[in-house]
Amino acid sequence: MCHQTVSLAARHLEKNGIPTVIMGCAKDIVEYVGVPRLLFSDFPLGNPAGRPNDFLSQEFTLELALRVLETAPGPRTTLQSPLRWSADPAWKLDYSNIARLSPEEITGRRAEFDRQKEIAKTIRTEPRAAG
Amino acid sequence: MQRIRDYYQALGYGAPYRWAHYAEVPFAALRKPLADSRIGLVTTAAPYQPDKGDQGPGAPYNAAAKFYTVYSGDSAADPDLRIAHVAYDRAHTTAADSSSWFPLAQLRRLAAPANSGARIGELAPRFHGAPTNRSHRATIDQDCPELLARVREDKADAVILLAV
Repeated sequence: MCHQTVSLAARHLEKNGIPTVIMGCAKDIVEYVGVPRLLFSDFPLGNPAGRPNDFLSQEFTLELALRVLETAPGPRTTLQSPLRWSADPAWKLDYSNIARLSPEEITGRRAEFDRQKEIAKTIRTEPRAAG
Repeated sequence: MQRIRDYYQALGYGAPYRWAHYAEVPFAALRKPLADSRIGLVTTAAPYQPDKGDQGPGAPYNAAAKFYTVYSGDSAADPDLRIAHVAYDRAHTTAADSSSWFPLAQLRRLAAPANSGARIGELAPRFHGAPTNRSHRATIDQDCPELLARVREDKADAVILLAV
């Protein structure tokens, strides 16, 4: 939901005259929604601002995002970072891949998923005060 | 996206999820150079809530740590934010280094007054947290207008949004 949320927010800000750039790792969702500017890092979800514990990677990634903000000629501008997560791209196949889970793992995840859904529902219906 | 649809269907969601989709995309050009601009920051990360279970690096998905209203924090401080409430890739990353998903310190450095030739003019006084809601309607009707109002109050010239 993170990528859809920021995509909708970017669209709303932009519609109201405020330029935006999204930093994200799920290009398909962001482009499907349709946004003005995206800096895409082909990293595991959770690292939109560069590699963990790697200052140079983070500095470079932010600089790329600023360049997209400055130079995008129009909407739907995506720039892909040249940085790679690892030489072996096999990590890309694991995320939310039902084909890679055993029936026992699926049953376990389903039970946990139902439990988390109930928790989220409780919070949603009793929203806490937030600043 | 198809893989995510298949995954959640296998876990028991009925109808496949429909992501928001638009033919038209708005665009606003920068009005001044970044070196003269005030930059805002929006994140989907959540403030740490000690009473809401494990939110540490590598913690399992923790819906109790979710939030459903926009929040704001002081850009000059170092907030304790976590991402245990979202579906990041737990098999291949741990969320241990918040700078890999929340570049606040990095932006502060780029705006440092002592940094002659600063890359950005300044950082907006607050950053903002956007709730990750499955409902497009909730995001569009409640959260987007609230984010816009806060960004306007901050007088931000441009905004960077981080999707975890």
